[in-house]
Amino acid sequence: MSEITISRRTVLAGSALLLGSTALPTIGWAQSPKKGGRLVVAADSEPRNLNPAIVASNGVFFISSKIVEPLAEASFEGKDGLDPRLATSWEGAADGLSVTFKLREGVKWHDGKPFTSADVAFSALQIWKPLQNLGRTVFKDLEAVDTPDELTAVFKFAKPTPFQLIRNALPALSSVVPKHVYETGKIEENPANNAPVGTGPFKFAEHKSGEYYRLEKNADYWGKDQPYLDEIIYQVLPDRTSAASALEAEEIQLAAFSAVPLADLDRISKVPGLKVITKGYEGLTYQLVVEINHRRKELADLKVRQAIAHAIDKDFVVKTVFLGYAATATGPVPKNDPQFYTADVPTYTFDVAKANALLDEAGYSRGDDGKRFSLKLLPAPYFNETKQFGDYLRQALAAIGIDAQLVNNDSAAHIKAVYTDHAFDLAVGPPVFRGDPAISTTILVQSGIPDGVPFSNQGGYKNDELDALIAKASETLDPAARTELYKEFQKKVAADLPLINVAEWSFISVARDTVGNVANNPRWAVSNWADTWLEA
Amino acid sequence: MSPLRRFLLTPEAIAGAIILLALFAMALSASLFFPGDPQAIAGPALLPPFQHWSLPLGTDRLGRDVQAELFHGARTSLAVGLAAAAAALAVGAIVGTLAGFAGGVVDEVLMRVTDAFQTVPSFLLALAFVSIVGPSLGVVVAAIALGAWTGPARVARAEVLSIRERDFVAGARVIGMHPLEIAFREVLPNALPPVLALSSVIVAAAILTEAALSFLGLGDPNRVTWGGMIAEGRAVLRTAPFLSIIPGIALVLTVLGVYLAGEGVVETTAVRRSLS
Repeated sequence: MSEITISRRTVLAGSALLLGSTALPTIGWAQSPKKGGRLVVAADSEPRNLNPAIVASNGVFFISSKIVEPLAEASFEGKDGLDPRLATSWEGAADGLSVTFKLREGVKWHDGKPFTSADVAFSALQIWKPLQNLGRTVFKDLEAVDTPDELTAVFKFAKPTPFQLIRNALPALSSVVPKHVYETGKIEENPANNAPVGTGPFKFAEHKSGEYYRLEKNADYWGKDQPYLDEIIYQVLPDRTSAASALEAEEIQLAAFSAVPLADLDRISKVPGLKVITKGYEGLTYQLVVEINHRRKELADLKVRQAIAHAIDKDFVVKTVFLGYAATATGPVPKNDPQFYTADVPTYTFDVAKANALLDEAGYSRGDDGKRFSLKLLPAPYFNETKQFGDYLRQALAAIGIDAQLVNNDSAAHIKAVYTDHAFDLAVGPPVFRGDPAISTTILVQSGIPDGVPFSNQGGYKNDELDALIAKASETLDPAARTELYKEFQKKVAADLPLINVAEWSFISVARDTVGNVANNPRWAVSNWADTWLEA
Repeated sequence: MSPLRRFLLTPEAIAGAIILLALFAMALSASLFFPGDPQAIAGPALLPPFQHWSLPLGTDRLGRDVQAELFHGARTSLAVGLAAAAAALAVGAIVGTLAGFAGGVVDEVLMRVTDAFQTVPSFLLALAFVSIVGPSLGVVVAAIALGAWTGPARVARAEVLSIRERDFVAGARVIGMHPLEIAFREVLPNALPPVLALSSVIVAAAILTEAALSFLGLGDPNRVTWGGMIAEGRAVLRTAPFLSIIPGIALVLTVLGVYLAGEGVVETTAVRRSLS
């Protein structure tokens, strides 16, 4: 209320003094961030473990990235696409055996203790490397972290590790948690996993199961004048249709991660006071992928895999399943990646006749009922789009005489069926591209991964040439040479089709006009929101 | 007056019979009017109803013909409803007859088992069963029957308790018939009419349960079901409400039809009983 009177007074005073110049300051006023306010956001799931250092996934980041910060965050303008957070600079040694981080001064944990290099060393060695889902691969050769002083951390690697990879991994993999909270007892069972303590702009306040999470402003935050918001509430709305109505009723001000169904966006974009935002997810590209079980003799045949690739109308998938909010894929690296993508790969046009010819050639002719063979198809249940693509794929396969039987499972059963039991022939999966193929992409085709590792090659695919290429790229230090190797990798994957990349999509946010500084970095929804503000 | 004519004199029975006949016609003609896979993509996505002559009820999010899905869905609903009711009635009648006729320990054990099943809400039971065994048509039928057999069992037992004291049962014993033969050849047929009167309620409940399971994604994904259609339409409820409303209306009419026809039958037989 007081802010309204002030702004009104400013305008009145301005107009009384100098009529001509009033317009400029008023506009300036409206756009400069305001302090205070409570942001209410839709949350579609309630992660049990909120420790982003252990569980590096978007569902966890969405809430905990405001509390626990990484060493650096992704950025549109920053050098190498990064913006400093807990580290102010980072430098890789020429031999690839060490990376030196200079840390930010004067940062305090939410419990008042100072943040030091010991916390970084502890997080890296005790959590990222042994426990984190993604860190296990990226930091596998991390041997020690030297802490010559309180604000310097030197990562030592046993084998040369590309600095480019470490840099690309910083936003998602480097969440720092306090050593003094985690050093006693088992890290996985630490109560702070459910009520995180961090250095971020917001403190964890409470979680009411099935209702909301509440974060409150960290008054001691290192960012000047930040954060602007007093409070963030994550309203748990598991039903996807309810987010749209909650926005319209002004119960919530923001729905990220496509909580509003794509089919509703057209209508909701016309509602006054609401804006549909497609930016802010550039660093979180999901890929729609057909996972293939190469243990099936039909699918071990390249011609059959090519036929399936030719049978999928990618444009139809983008237009109908994603309603245009996606792009067709050519290979395992998404088109929007600035560093590694190459379009120079074998492509598969939508051509049913050719697909049929390939299957005939492979020796699988149609039976009396028009069917060549049957397959079990398991669409991942995490997204509406993956399920719908499963329905589409079944029809697309029917057109080339392959009878696909859909098997629906809940998330846990799906992960077990595909990644542990291998009880599938084809599966539809949504792996995430995280800015570097070595983080979570090469694992999708590499051989020798133990059973049970989710979102990895569990289709029994083995290609020595590709394995050698992946191994070589993982120890190539020169960024240019490394990028070339990953271009080669994309060509080989597109040619041999260990899996079929169909489309790439990101998410959509819907926010009220009053929310400021939305989508201002490529991982906005999972960044710290220190500069997000609300118009009163 | 013949029972059929008497049946046809009650207006609700006529309404029920018409709906049921229409439903059977839909189910039987589904393959005739809509040969091939009803889930095949037939046109542009999200076409509203009454826009195109060949797709009178419009299309869903992938461009599948809603009318074809509706007809094939009738088949699934009826098949599941009738099969689950038949299974529930059969199991219930057998358990009830055994318990009532044998008495003693057998009766105690069987009726306590029945009680145990009755205390668990039948939908929860079906939900748990399907999510453990995995969704397919047979499993769904078994899951629904699992929660529905207790009613017929109790009714059958009550009937058998009174029938077994009748003279003809004593007569059968005297001529040396095997007890099981007496139970199932002499007693059960006489105990059946009140048990069968439950069938309409069970069929209606089974159709609803099947729809609810499909709605929650626990139906057979390779078959069109009305519950599945409603669930699919839910994501676009605001932009294309017809996708949920059309199968919803079909579901309401079906359950209403089954119930009304069942009422008609019960009333007809009740009148006949009171007349005799």
